[in-house]
Amino acid sequence: MRLFARLSGPVAPAVLVVAAVAGWLATTTAQQPERSRGFKQLLSEINAPGIDRGLRDADPPRPAPTSARWKTGASGSAYLRDSLIVRFRPGTLPAAQRALLAQVDATPGPTLTYADFDIVALAGGADPENVAERLSAQPDVEYAQPRYRARPMFVPNDPLYSRQWNFPQIDMERAWDINRGGSTSVTVAIVDTGVAYRSATLRYTGIAWRRDDGVSFPALGPVDIPFAAAPDLGADRFVSPRDFIWDDTLPFDLAGHGTHVAGTIAQLSNNGVGVAGMAFNVKLMPVKVIDTDWDFIFNSPFIGTDDTVARGVRYAVDNGAKVINMSLGRTGAPAPVVRSAIEYAVSHGAFVAAAGGNEALEGNQPEIYGEFATQIDGMVAVAATGPDRRRAVYSTSGSYIELAAPGGDFSRGPATAGILQQTLDLDFVETFAGPVSRYTAPRFDVFAYFYFEGSSMATAHVSGLAALLVSQGLTDPAAIEAILKQSATDLGTPGRDNDYGYGLINARAALRGMGVAR
Amino acid sequence: MSSRLGRSVHAAVVCGTLALLPVTAGAQTRPPVRRAPEPTVRLRGFGEAGARTFTASQSFEAVLGSRSGVLFGGGAEVLVGRNLFVSFGVSRFQKDGERVVVANGQAFPIGIDTTISVMPIEVSAGWRFTKPRQTVIPYLGGGLGWHRYKETSEFATSDENVQFTKTGFQLLGGAEWRASRWLGVAGEAAWMSVPNAFEGGASSAAAAFGEDDLGGAVFRVKVVIGR
Repeated sequence: MRLFARLSGPVAPAVLVVAAVAGWLATTTAQQPERSRGFKQLLSEINAPGIDRGLRDADPPRPAPTSARWKTGASGSAYLRDSLIVRFRPGTLPAAQRALLAQVDATPGPTLTYADFDIVALAGGADPENVAERLSAQPDVEYAQPRYRARPMFVPNDPLYSRQWNFPQIDMERAWDINRGGSTSVTVAIVDTGVAYRSATLRYTGIAWRRDDGVSFPALGPVDIPFAAAPDLGADRFVSPRDFIWDDTLPFDLAGHGTHVAGTIAQLSNNGVGVAGMAFNVKLMPVKVIDTDWDFIFNSPFIGTDDTVARGVRYAVDNGAKVINMSLGRTGAPAPVVRSAIEYAVSHGAFVAAAGGNEALEGNQPEIYGEFATQIDGMVAVAATGPDRRRAVYSTSGSYIELAAPGGDFSRGPATAGILQQTLDLDFVETFAGPVSRYTAPRFDVFAYFYFEGSSMATAHVSGLAALLVSQGLTDPAAIEAILKQSATDLGTPGRDNDYGYGLINARAALRGMGVAR
Repeated sequence: MSSRLGRSVHAAVVCGTLALLPVTAGAQTRPPVRRAPEPTVRLRGFGEAGARTFTASQSFEAVLGSRSGVLFGGGAEVLVGRNLFVSFGVSRFQKDGERVVVANGQAFPIGIDTTISVMPIEVSAGWRFTKPRQTVIPYLGGGLGWHRYKETSEFATSDENVQFTKTGFQLLGGAEWRASRWLGVAGEAAWMSVPNAFEGGASSAAAAFGEDDLGGAVFRVKVVIGR
């Protein structure tokens, strides 16, 4: 009804013309053998501006999205059961590769873009972790690993009234005195669930599915879904968008996580609208590598596995990103494919900020992507603090934590203890969260200001600060990491510790750099 | 008593009379010219210009682009007798640079202008190795210095700028050429040490490079006015 009302307005003729010309988008690159391919169809590149529903401070708690699509292996990590990632050593002949794969009853898959590895299909129900171990022992194999599930780091909660306490906590106002929002020549990649970055109407096909609690939802069939750019992000600052879940150039956010993260990094500021972001002049590159519930319901052809994340990171740096925000991760077995991608990014001049994890209350398992930080100069792993500057209760502690930043902590205060940003209005997104009778197609053109908590939110602060540093001419990733550490406010045990790393980031101190004496 | 005094006065009068008699004989020799005795304490002034390098070479090179720069100054010097001297001097070094980030021993400019000035107040004493009719006089000395350091930056608030004074010591040596009775030119080298000057700044180039001494070497030319 809302859609039709909008289409019947003054923009309707233009919408129909563009829709007819645009056709539907469906690419034919590498597929995952285990999933039938859904598709989305671009009906219109024109849509009405996003609807801003303001601050949502009285919503009931929303359960964190979960999925039963993933099996958990011996390592404790979820992964796809009938394929894995392999990188053969350079010079290994195709015949030798096939022979090796035949030994484990595997067959090579199609060539992937932005990947220096292969995806191979397994037959016969072999466990990918076991097969990966066997393959890794072969001299011609550099590494092999299952396709572990990556996921966003945020812990959504019901928002209440607040303000952006997070920026004063890191001395951001005084940092803006030095660098007011960074440079338009700097690009930050949001490697995430996508971003609400533009207007469009897309046609998807919703499949029947069953929720984790056993409730079945009917197939929606073909549905036209409206999208809009988040009003407070602006629409003309996005470069090189890429979707590795749908394998196209329309990385729309179907959950709100990536849009929220992008807001902390670069929300338009000083414009009299909504909230502020840190580097509000920089360009943003939405790179979608995480699938969420609606991607599943719409039957996306790809899933957010390690290989997808790795490709997204490589794509980002190949297309000019100087800062890569990875508010995502997973626990469990190592991810050499992601590590290799991050090393590639750093070696090509991109600074990488990765979430430290939200597992403190769930066994405090280390965050696998974040763990690379101590071994890679130019990458940091970020823990989360609450408004009281103490480590958030959920924030994973470990030897790989290098910095802390505001991530919110609802456990130690009111709901306003989260990080406030504009994102998709979850009332129009999570229509599957309630009873089936209220299940409808979602809308992604309605926005509100929500409080989120998580090391995802903390990571965004580090990326925003890194973008400002790059804007000041500091382009060496290792140097960015160095000044972030050196300028951090030491918290917890004096010196580096597992809760805060080198301390809470201090934006002003970092942007000031060093004199001889101070 | 009175008769002894009377004899002395008489003798003086006789001598004076003899001295006043006109010289009549060509064979007589000319009496030696008497030079006025040098004063025991002489006060001199000097101006100086030169170059200084810093012991914290990496830190200054990172921020200022060079570990050295020019200085100007002046002061006063007291010569006691022929050999001993005590000098009071003030000089000033100032240079503009850019704040940096230091990573893995390498400095990266960050686009924020900064100015550093160092003003040492030196009190030194030493020994001048003089000989009669010597025109070049070498000297050695040493003393204490109070080094006023100031570092100001673009965008900085007053509490972010740095200003302190630290005490150090210096050793010096040089040679003075007496160009005339009232003018001398000296070339001097000094080595200063101001330990623990930068120990307070955890996030500083000095800390990053492990340098905490504000001292260094100074090479200067002095123009000395005075005997």
